[in-house]
Amino acid sequence: MTDTAIEAAGLGRQFGRRGKWALFDCTFQLPAGSVCAIAGPNGAGKSTLLALVAGLLVPTEGEVTVFGTNPGAARERLAFVAQDKPLYPQLTIAETLRLGHELNPGRWNAAVAEPIVAGGGLDPHARIRNLSGGQRTRVALALALGKRPELLLLDEPMADLDPLARHQLMGVLMADAAENGTTVVMSSHVVAELEDACDHLLLMGGGRVRLAGPLDDLLAAHVLVTGRAGDLGPHTVVESRTTGRQLTALIRPNGPLDAEWQTSEPTLEELVIAHLRSPAAPELTLTGETGTDADTDTDSDSDSDDTHTDETDADAEEAAK
Amino acid sequence: MTAVSAAPAEASAHHRSLRPRGLLWAMLHLHRAALLFWLLLIAVAGGALLWAYGPGADGAWAEYRMMRCAYSGPNRTCDYTGLSYDVYSRAVSLGSLTVTLVPFLAALWAGAALIGRELESGTAELAWTQSVTPTRWLLAKLTAPAVLLVLGTSLLVLLHRLVWTSNDELRRWMNWDWYVDSAFRANGVVGIAYALLGLAAGALAALLTRRSLPALGIGGGCLAVIVYGLTVLRPHLWPVVTVTRENESPPATGMPVAEGALTSAGARVPPPVCGSRDTCLAERDIVAYYRDFHPSSHFWPLQLVETGIVLALAAVVTGVSFWLLRRRTGAAV
Repeated sequence: MTDTAIEAAGLGRQFGRRGKWALFDCTFQLPAGSVCAIAGPNGAGKSTLLALVAGLLVPTEGEVTVFGTNPGAARERLAFVAQDKPLYPQLTIAETLRLGHELNPGRWNAAVAEPIVAGGGLDPHARIRNLSGGQRTRVALALALGKRPELLLLDEPMADLDPLARHQLMGVLMADAAENGTTVVMSSHVVAELEDACDHLLLMGGGRVRLAGPLDDLLAAHVLVTGRAGDLGPHTVVESRTTGRQLTALIRPNGPLDAEWQTSEPTLEELVIAHLRSPAAPELTLTGETGTDADTDTDSDSDSDDTHTDETDADAEEAAK
Repeated sequence: MTAVSAAPAEASAHHRSLRPRGLLWAMLHLHRAALLFWLLLIAVAGGALLWAYGPGADGAWAEYRMMRCAYSGPNRTCDYTGLSYDVYSRAVSLGSLTVTLVPFLAALWAGAALIGRELESGTAELAWTQSVTPTRWLLAKLTAPAVLLVLGTSLLVLLHRLVWTSNDELRRWMNWDWYVDSAFRANGVVGIAYALLGLAAGALAALLTRRSLPALGIGGGCLAVIVYGLTVLRPHLWPVVTVTRENESPPATGMPVAEGALTSAGARVPPPVCGSRDTCLAERDIVAYYRDFHPSSHFWPLQLVETGIVLALAAVVTGVSFWLLRRRTGAAV
């Protein structure tokens, strides 16, 4: 098994010849066995990225490989649950699982799929068209896991589940992934639900990768500082807010911080929201394997929506040195 | 991995049995309703033709003899038709009409249900992220219905020919001409070819629009244009036979194509409106009348040329469908 599950290089996708670029210049690596969260606001390019990795779309530019080959050739090894959980409405649940068996000869494991359906108290003879959204999600996940994928791609998997089902299914998913060493990539715009489950983060915004890398490293690379308004000197300021004389900022420290600042490690939610609030903040891609942090600023002129300040650009350049 | 260790036993069990597997299983279960409808349609139309061949023809024949139509001499009763005649005629029409309509049913179904709905709802992508490539998916989607369409339509064509050729005298009484559109389709291979074209056209329309309702309209509409165009072209698909006569228009036999008058230079002109004046023809320099037509011996040449054109169109349309799908989903076979 290759060490890298997904590798994207300069990946971009434009819809229509003169249409909008849903995704551009997307570069990252995901080691096999990791559980990666793709976070970002609506329209950030999460679904497009997942569809490209699943081999359902052809990149307009750049390249993406799955386990070292192109996604189409890795079809048997990956499973994909699309955002609206498409299933054949005319089939029963049992027939849907049978479909998984028929279309994945030699891979299908009913002993994995059936308990997931049973766990929701679903009647195997119920037709898909009579199921609620959450019940369909459960069947879609059962179909995906029954295939014994090595890479599981989930687009907003938990969106229409009640909290109890969400908790239970997430537990099943994570236990299964841990047991089989499955690489899991799931997108969500509810950040909180990802924090416990994931060890990697891919934050997207406006079709670009904003943050990528191991979650712990990303959190460790940022500091939440509060104190009297003052100069944050050589540090990269992702977002800062001033209330009266009080300044709160999320920064990427470059060198030691002045003792007058109160510091704390940000939560995932704080990290994500700070980056979403300031689209001009430089990108940060960390690769856990090498242990060296590469702070890159590759988007300077590519996105006209961004309002770059001289300060952040200068910060980014310094950080890159 | 656990899945791999379980694979050999499962795979061999998978291949031993004769039940449909894989994509064929999927096709049978996903389109059960369409399959039942098709079987029902063939049963009804085929049953009507079988009835016409047996009791229907007997009844009409008895009526024909009772009306003494077989005897020469003025017999007005033969201008009227009886109940058996009507029922017999309707049963045969049901058969030929079905053959005529099947291509449209195939186009609408393929556009809306077979492909369009799957692309619209995302279930196609569900299939493509199982261990099935888009190309194999489309191949199964087209092959299974194509086989059933060919089998069903062939059966109807054979039954229709059986009825058609069973009693020449009855056919003459019925005024059945071999070149009438619905009979032409139902008596030869051309009806089968159109069914395949309908399937291909609906599939391409669905792949282009990716939505079922527009695919329904576009697939059906395009097929209608092609069918109309080829029907108009049909008499010109094979060289016609021309007969000329000096004093009057030659009698009509077979598929009429053109008629008119000939000048001494051999030019073709529209038939003159002369009444009884003798000088009229001379003034216009008309020396003879001509008629272009296809004798019944042209039935098979006309059938085969049209079938060839339709099958070629179906092949091109199918090829474009595969090309489009591969371009969109990134080629892997």
